Amino acid sequence: MPMVRFDRVSKRYSSGKEALSGVSFELARGEMAFLTGHSGAGKSTLLKLMMRMEVPTRGEVVVDGSNLSRLREGLVPYHRRKVGVVFQNHQLLFDRSVFENVALPLLIAGTSLKETGRRVRAALDKVGLLGKEKLNPIQLSGGEQQRIGIARAVVNKPALLIADEPTGNLDPELSAEIMNLFSNFQQVGVTVLIATHDIALVERMNKRRLILQDGQMIAGQNITSGVAHV
Amino acid sequence: MSEKVPNQHGASAAKLGASDKFSAYFRNHQMVAVESLVKLLSTPASSLLTWLVIAIALTLPGALYMAVNNLQQLSGHFEASGQMTVFLATDIREVDSGALRLKIASLDDVNKVVYVSPEQALEEFKQYGGISDALSFLDENPLPAVLLVEPPLGIDKDELNTLVDQIKSFRQVDSVQVDMAWVERLLALLALAQRLVAVVGVLLALAIVLVVGNTIRLSIAARTDEIRVIKLVGGTNAYVRRPFLYSGFWYGAIGGILAWLMLGLCWILLQGPVSDIAALYGADFYLQPLPFAPTCWLIFSAAVLGLLGSWWSVQRHLVAIEP
Repeated sequence: MPMVRFDRVSKRYSSGKEALSGVSFELARGEMAFLTGHSGAGKSTLLKLMMRMEVPTRGEVVVDGSNLSRLREGLVPYHRRKVGVVFQNHQLLFDRSVFENVALPLLIAGTSLKETGRRVRAALDKVGLLGKEKLNPIQLSGGEQQRIGIARAVVNKPALLIADEPTGNLDPELSAEIMNLFSNFQQVGVTVLIATHDIALVERMNKRRLILQDGQMIAGQNITSGVAHV
Repeated sequence: MSEKVPNQHGASAAKLGASDKFSAYFRNHQMVAVESLVKLLSTPASSLLTWLVIAIALTLPGALYMAVNNLQQLSGHFEASGQMTVFLATDIREVDSGALRLKIASLDDVNKVVYVSPEQALEEFKQYGGISDALSFLDENPLPAVLLVEPPLGIDKDELNTLVDQIKSFRQVDSVQVDMAWVERLLALLALAQRLVAVVGVLLALAIVLVVGNTIRLSIAARTDEIRVIKLVGGTNAYVRRPFLYSGFWYGAIGGILAWLMLGLCWILLQGPVSDIAALYGADFYLQPLPFAPTCWLIFSAAVLGLLGSWWSVQRHLVAIEP
């Protein structure tokens, strides 16, 4: 069973704009892939469908065996707990410390305080911010803030990690660091999908590449065919 | 990244047992309850404003209730008595009035008859300040002789009316005044006042719901980003709602306690003057504070109203915030 399966998914917004049309693809468990395309091609919409922030107009989105179109509203939060998500603008809360930001998913899931402390420190260690847990995120640089966002996304040990332009505001060196972090998570079994327009970086990573153009997937649909260069 | 990679097979949040889940849920409630109170106390000026509005809104019906409660106790002294004053004709001789007294005393439903001569009545009258001077201008005593008739305690209305008719039928009797009449009027007024307490109470309860609802709406607006992030990382609607509901609860409960303190202050301020007035009327009356049970109700309903206000606000505004 694949981790993610899109079956002829179309999404039309109430404004009438068709963001995705007839998109089909699968992501195998433990796979890492990039999602590229011009801005407005539908990358964000595709990620939002996986988080059940949007529902498809037609077709099916299946994540980790559950069909998101048929998911009861009350179960949506439990679905989101299984998916780690990283945003270009971090979505951090500046009224609390780095530790509290990263601990948020665990707090919500009701993890014990002892376990929370252990896991938050492990996640911060992985992204190289272990010494900065007591600081406020606003005191940290853009690259560090992005790493807090990544720590928060992985602290709950999700099976699927998705990222929307995670290197959008970073210089090439920091971007490469962030990408290396993601491939580290893939190496321990996490399925990773990263939406980005940084083609040079994608080419260096040598991973499967899904390409969207005007809402249609023009390359990389098949696990076998979509390796690296298109 | 030099340290070891954390164990991927460790406990995951999805694998919590039922009892762990329950204790986690309980712990979250406890934590949110304390945190939301701390949050309110961390902005004392604006919180106090809301608390005072709630307290004043509750003090008004509370004070009315206290007043009605006291008057009810006052009327309770007379309710069962039905004592009547029988005014005798002014031209009656003292001997005749003595005979009449005996006749009335022999009737059924009469416990005691006391004769008050015009002279005694005048003496009693003079005791009231200011009147004695006016009385000294009169050549003769204008007051009639009076019989104070006391029926047994708890006499019912029909029997009392029969008795009044019997007494009125005596030739020498000028008029009969039953003290019951003013007691009835007082009771009717009290019923009106009680209704007033209810109406004012309902209106001000509505005001509290709106005030808390609006305060919560503002705090939801201030925390939109936080709500969005919480929903993104898998916070349920209940989880997002919880801190706001607790805030509403605290607004109400502490507002209720403040209202109780204000009522206590009213009681302290009014107690002295009320005792003075009672003493002037020769009554042994003491202003009662709000009793224990109504006090509990006051604070409890304040907390419930706060909760209702925040619930209403949360239902309207929280659902609209989606990541």
